[in-house]
Amino acid sequence: MSAIETKNLTKRYKDKCAVDELNLSVNEGELFALLGVNGAGKTTTIRMLSCLSEPDKGECFVGGHSCARESGRVKRLIGVSPQETAVAENLTARENLELMCGIYGLSKEETKRRISEMTELFGLDEAKGRAKTLSGGWKRKLSIAMALIASPKVLFLDEPTLGLDVLARRELWKVIKSLKGKITVILTTHYMEEAEQLSDRIAIMIEGKIAAHGTLAEIETLTGEKGLENAFVKIAEGGKTHE
Amino acid sequence: MNRVIAFSRRNFMEIMRDPLSYIFCLGFPLVMLIIMTLVNESIPAEAGMVIFRIDNLSGGIAVFGLTFIMLFTGLSVAKDRAGAFLVRLYTTPMRSCDFIMGYIAPVMVIALAQVLITFAASFAISVITGIKLSAAGLGASMLALVPTAVMMIGLGLLFGSLFGEKAAPGLCSIVISLASFLGGVWFDPDGTGGILLKICKALPFYHSVHAARLAASLNFKDFWGHLGITAAWAVVITIAAVLVFKAKMKSETC
Repeated sequence: MSAIETKNLTKRYKDKCAVDELNLSVNEGELFALLGVNGAGKTTTIRMLSCLSEPDKGECFVGGHSCARESGRVKRLIGVSPQETAVAENLTARENLELMCGIYGLSKEETKRRISEMTELFGLDEAKGRAKTLSGGWKRKLSIAMALIASPKVLFLDEPTLGLDVLARRELWKVIKSLKGKITVILTTHYMEEAEQLSDRIAIMIEGKIAAHGTLAEIETLTGEKGLENAFVKIAEGGKTHE
Repeated sequence: MNRVIAFSRRNFMEIMRDPLSYIFCLGFPLVMLIIMTLVNESIPAEAGMVIFRIDNLSGGIAVFGLTFIMLFTGLSVAKDRAGAFLVRLYTTPMRSCDFIMGYIAPVMVIALAQVLITFAASFAISVITGIKLSAAGLGASMLALVPTAVMMIGLGLLFGSLFGEKAAPGLCSIVISLASFLGGVWFDPDGTGGILLKICKALPFYHSVHAARLAASLNFKDFWGHLGITAAWAVVITIAAVLVFKAKMKSETC
C-alpha cells in the first residue's frame, strides 16, 4: 500500500490553478522530494495532504485514509513541520515537546520516552531557554522534533532548511537522513543539492503539474542533463514533461 | 480533555511569562484602586460624592481590571493566528472546541485571580479607611463577576479571531475606555440621567458594575436584574465569539 496517493488532485485559487490534476504515489518509508519554483504548487499540495486545505477536485489519501472524509484518522498518522518555524515562543524546547505530547494524548511514560528520544536525536539538550531566544537552526530542529514526537507514519517537511546557514543545513540533513526507511518523508525544497542528497525519488512541479518524477538518475536520463539543477532548469524552461 | 489541558497550559504559560500581563492584569487595577482611594480622601465630605469610596470603587475597578483580560485574550488569539503555530496545531487531532476551551480556561483562572487580588486590596483599604466592606460581600461580588469575566473573554476571543495582532489590541483599548466610562466606574451615570444613562443601560458594562457593587454590599434587591442582563450579554457574546472563531478556523484551513 502506498503511504500517499493523490488522484486528480486539483486546487484553484480564484483564476489560478495552484494544483492541477495531480496524480502521485509515494511508497512507505520513502523520502520523496517535491521541487518547483515559487508558486509551483508544492505547499498547496502539502496543505491538502495534511488536511489544511480541501481540494476542489480529486482526492488524496494518507495511509489509505481519505484526507477529506477521514481527516481525524489522517491527522493521527501525520506530522507537519511548516515553512515558518511554528513553535510556541515563550515555552522552552522541552515544554514545546510536552505540549505536542499532550495534544496527541501520549501517556506520561510515553511522553518521557519520546521527549528523551527527540532530545537525543536533535541534540536539544543544548537548546536552553525559551524558544524565542533560540537561533533559526535550533528553532527548525525543534519544529521537526515537534512534528516527530507522536511517531507519525508520514512526515511533511516544508522547506526545512530555508534561511539556515550551511552548517545548520548540513546538521539538519544528517537528522533527515537518519529518518530514511523508518517513516515516509515528503520534503519540499528550493535547494537542488538538498533534494539530491536526501531523496529516494524526486518530483518536479511546474504550474501545479508534475513535469517529471523518478530517481535522480531517471530524471537525468529523461532530460539528458547531468545533475539535478541542470535537469530542473531544462524542465522548468519547457523541456520534457512526463507523468 | 488531554488536548484542552495541554493547550490551556501552554496559553497560561505564554500569558504568565509576558511581563505586560502583570503590569496590566494585576498592577494597573491595583494602582488605580490606590490612586482613586487617595482621590476619594481628597474630596470634601460635604460634596457628597461617594463614587470613589472603596465600597463603590472595588466593584468598578474589578470590572475595569477584567477589561484587560479581554485585551490579553484578544492579543493571544491574534498573535497565534498571525504565526504558523496555529497552522501546525490545525494538522493535529485538535478540534475547534479544544482550541476555544484552551483559550478560555487559562484566562478565566487569571481573571478570577485578578478579582481576588483586587478584592483583597479593597478589603485592606476598607480596614485602613474605616469603610465597612464585608468578606461575605466581596465573595458574593466575586461570584457576580463570573458572567462579566466570561463576557470579556468572549469579547477578546471575538476581536482576536476577527482582527490581526495590530488591530485587535487597538479595538480592545477602545472597549476598555468605553467600559470603564459607560460602566460608571469613574462617574455616576444615575446622577446624570438623560441620553447618557440610556446609553449606559443599553450596554452591559453598567450592569456588570452595578451587579458587582450590589453583591459587595449584600443588597440583592436590584441585583438579579443587573446580573441577568450581564449574563445574557455574556451568553450572546460567547456564542458569537465561538461561531466567528470556528468560521475563521474553517476559512484559514480551506
